[in-house]
Amino acid sequence: MNSTQVGGTTFKERESISPWILGLAALLLCLVVPPIFYLLKTSVYTTEADGSFGVFTLENYAALLESDHTLEDLANSLIFAFGSAILAISGGLLQAWIVERTDAPLRQYVFLVSIISLGIPHVLYTGAWLLILGRNGPLNLLLMALTGSREPLFDVYSMTGMILIEGMLWMPLAFLLMGNVFRNMDGAFEDAAMMSGASLLQTLRRITLPLAVPGLLALFLLIFIRAFEAFDIPALIGSVGDVMVLSTQIFASIRKELPSNFGQAGSFSIVLMMIVVFLLWVQRRILAQGEKFQTVTGKGYRPRVKQLGSWRYVATGLLVTITILLLILPLGMIALISLVPFYDGLSETMLSRISLQNYSLAFSNPHFRTAIFNTLLYAFGTATFVALMTTGSAWMSARRLRGSLLLEQLTSAPLAFPAIVLGVAFMQTFLNMPIAIYGTLISLVIASTVQYLPYGMRFSHSAAMQIHRELEEAGASAGATRFQIFLRIVLPLLMPVVLMSWLFVVLLCVRGVALPILLAGPNSQVVSVMLYDLWVNGQVNELAAFGILWSAIMIGVGVCLYILSRKTGVRL
Amino acid sequence: MKKILLAATLGLSALVQMNAAQAVDVKDLIKLQGDERERVLVEGARKEGKVVMYSAMIENQALRPLKEAFLKKYPFIEAEFWRADTRDLINKTLAEARARNMVVDIVEGGGVSEALLRANALEPFNLPGSARLPKTMVDPKGFWVATRVSYFGMGYNTKLVPENEVPKTYQDLLDPKWKGRMAWTAEAETGSATMFISFIRGYMGEQKAEDYLRELGKQDIANITASPREVVNKVMAGEYAIALNIFLHHPIISAKQGASVSSQPMDPILGNASVMVLAKSAPHPHSALLLMDFLISPEGQEVIQKADYFPSDPNLDIEPSVARIVPSKNGMNMYFLSEEELFKARAKSIDLQKKYFRRR
Repeated sequence: MNSTQVGGTTFKERESISPWILGLAALLLCLVVPPIFYLLKTSVYTTEADGSFGVFTLENYAALLESDHTLEDLANSLIFAFGSAILAISGGLLQAWIVERTDAPLRQYVFLVSIISLGIPHVLYTGAWLLILGRNGPLNLLLMALTGSREPLFDVYSMTGMILIEGMLWMPLAFLLMGNVFRNMDGAFEDAAMMSGASLLQTLRRITLPLAVPGLLALFLLIFIRAFEAFDIPALIGSVGDVMVLSTQIFASIRKELPSNFGQAGSFSIVLMMIVVFLLWVQRRILAQGEKFQTVTGKGYRPRVKQLGSWRYVATGLLVTITILLLILPLGMIALISLVPFYDGLSETMLSRISLQNYSLAFSNPHFRTAIFNTLLYAFGTATFVALMTTGSAWMSARRLRGSLLLEQLTSAPLAFPAIVLGVAFMQTFLNMPIAIYGTLISLVIASTVQYLPYGMRFSHSAAMQIHRELEEAGASAGATRFQIFLRIVLPLLMPVVLMSWLFVVLLCVRGVALPILLAGPNSQVVSVMLYDLWVNGQVNELAAFGILWSAIMIGVGVCLYILSRKTGVRL
Repeated sequence: MKKILLAATLGLSALVQMNAAQAVDVKDLIKLQGDERERVLVEGARKEGKVVMYSAMIENQALRPLKEAFLKKYPFIEAEFWRADTRDLINKTLAEARARNMVVDIVEGGGVSEALLRANALEPFNLPGSARLPKTMVDPKGFWVATRVSYFGMGYNTKLVPENEVPKTYQDLLDPKWKGRMAWTAEAETGSATMFISFIRGYMGEQKAEDYLRELGKQDIANITASPREVVNKVMAGEYAIALNIFLHHPIISAKQGASVSSQPMDPILGNASVMVLAKSAPHPHSALLLMDFLISPEGQEVIQKADYFPSDPNLDIEPSVARIVPSKNGMNMYFLSEEELFKARAKSIDLQKKYFRRR
């Protein structure tokens, strides 16, 4: 499958560990090791009344094995993670293929749709879906009208409901990442297949998908692990219907004591971390012949757009359907709730209560403005650090330079931390530091950088995998140093992906609640926590108005970046 | 590089000095009385310039107006508030205590005092204003004073529950017709299923309580994982007919806006107080005492009342619309669940909750 096989040994084997790798590794060690250390310690010590460590124990690991339902919970966790990942990836893949490879009308707007849906705060998105799919929601009312049943037919508080909502939450990310993979793929292979008489589906199955394997695999791993340890959807949806997964059981163990006992959560995270390391190792093995996937070559080939004929309307129909599900339905529901003082089911009387009262409350709230400023500062800072650290790591890891495995493991390790555990670990770390960093925005940026490193890495890594070595070898034979090669050849090729991952981390930051809730102080409050407070307090309608305003700001950020990318010629 | 090091050292030593300057013994402060107390506290507070309170009160409704009112009284004290739920309040305060890096002065919320007391993280204090409060609202050992009271009971959707069928007693909740139609919150601290179970155990005694809970467990109550207020919202949205152990005044507020929801107190009404405590080694003890004075003063209590909480001071007039849920006004008894009872009962109640109210 290699279009250009460069013979002989390449330059990597002869070199010792680059100082760049050493420097980056040292920095990552400083960031990642303290929380891991804390976690390990938490998992093997008892918790005293003042929350300090007591005596050494293996009880927390034994408890993982002993619980009556561990196997059932584990099975549920696996089903949930697998289902969510498959749903998200199928949807994302379908969108990405239609957008990148076909002439379906309106396809250029899918990017914007994804950015917008990523900008909607989590609590709001989930809340909207719970109302739509709820016992008295439009779906059940429709089903009841159609079948004549008196009882609601669809139970959202079930495994199906959990997978549906979690899968949809990850679909925009799956689209963005898969879009990158397709774009960086050499279209020559697909064109060659088509010219040799392969049908569209044959080409997709035999050429396009196999070439997308590294991207697909990385993406699957990312969503699978995140869903496996996800807490919010299982708690908000699964627990209500008694569908328990490991993470909700772990949370129950944290909750059982006051002050919270994080011991069992610690042992769970350690086990999870080992699984992550194992999965990464498997992934590396599968991708061992990296050149198989290197398709960004020096030949400058733009993939040809497939003419779908009248099928293109079907393709557009699919895109529109996904957009309705992903964006229009939940956003519509949120908009509706934001206009009324309370929600009591869809009815005509609801229309009589419509007013802008919730919006005027949102506008007159001085805290909201400070929180917006704090949030943007925090999100931009985090995204910039993540981009800086992962771009280099990803390239070195894709080139399998000596020592790069360490970089890969270090940037991926935080994947194993459930956000709440990472928050506690960092709180301890900051409190014990001699400088007064605790409770500041900087502390939040540092912790979130660690939290989102794996995401930046997944973005950059699959892109770096696709850059063919011949380009760098050309640079090397022209006398460029390793650093110059990175700066002048690799970075420009990776730039669109770097920007994309930057934007993505921004969107993740503004949505996250678990870290800011523990780490932010009175003067560093961020929007997501404010929205979470409104949710906790049940001020859903005010929350909806805030959420709509906030989503508008995030859409603004997305559109700015979109326009910027068009003007500078960097295609997102 | 040298300059950075120097700056860092200077910064560090400034920090250390700051801590040293604040080492005031609260034990001396609480001995003060009358005008002298006021004078010393105000003088000290001028130097401190700020006070930090972690509270479970809602920011928009209560904390911000309190901050403004307090600033009006003492323009030289900046009050900083951080809002969280009971569990996070405790975890954060203890983390600071362990690291000997106290940021917080006052912690306020339901169920915060016992856990912090056991961890030896509290300082006793006395407030002249607490004489106005009922005995149950002030800790005899001086570790806490109540800021507000809450009453718990049942809420229902008036479209789904006809007037003549509304359950009036705890026994009525066992009627099979409510099976699968009731909800409560499974995970919050205040207003949760756990709290309800602790109350039933205290009120009925262990044996009767377990019989009752076993029967109630057959009703398939939905375990919502959000605040009690959100359970009321779900009942308003028509998803469930009945909300259990919710704040009794929440349905009244919504009904005023036109929602089809009402509350039904049951005898005895579960009552619980939220308290404020003073952190050991609080960095701003003078300002903290002034803020605590303020919180139970008629002015402070009025702000709390305006934020839809019930003040701990019974001398304040209660709005007529909520009088029917207040035990002293509606002829019902109150079962008051103290901080200590709540904390002690917690672990076993969580076990019972798991045993009878989880379907597997």
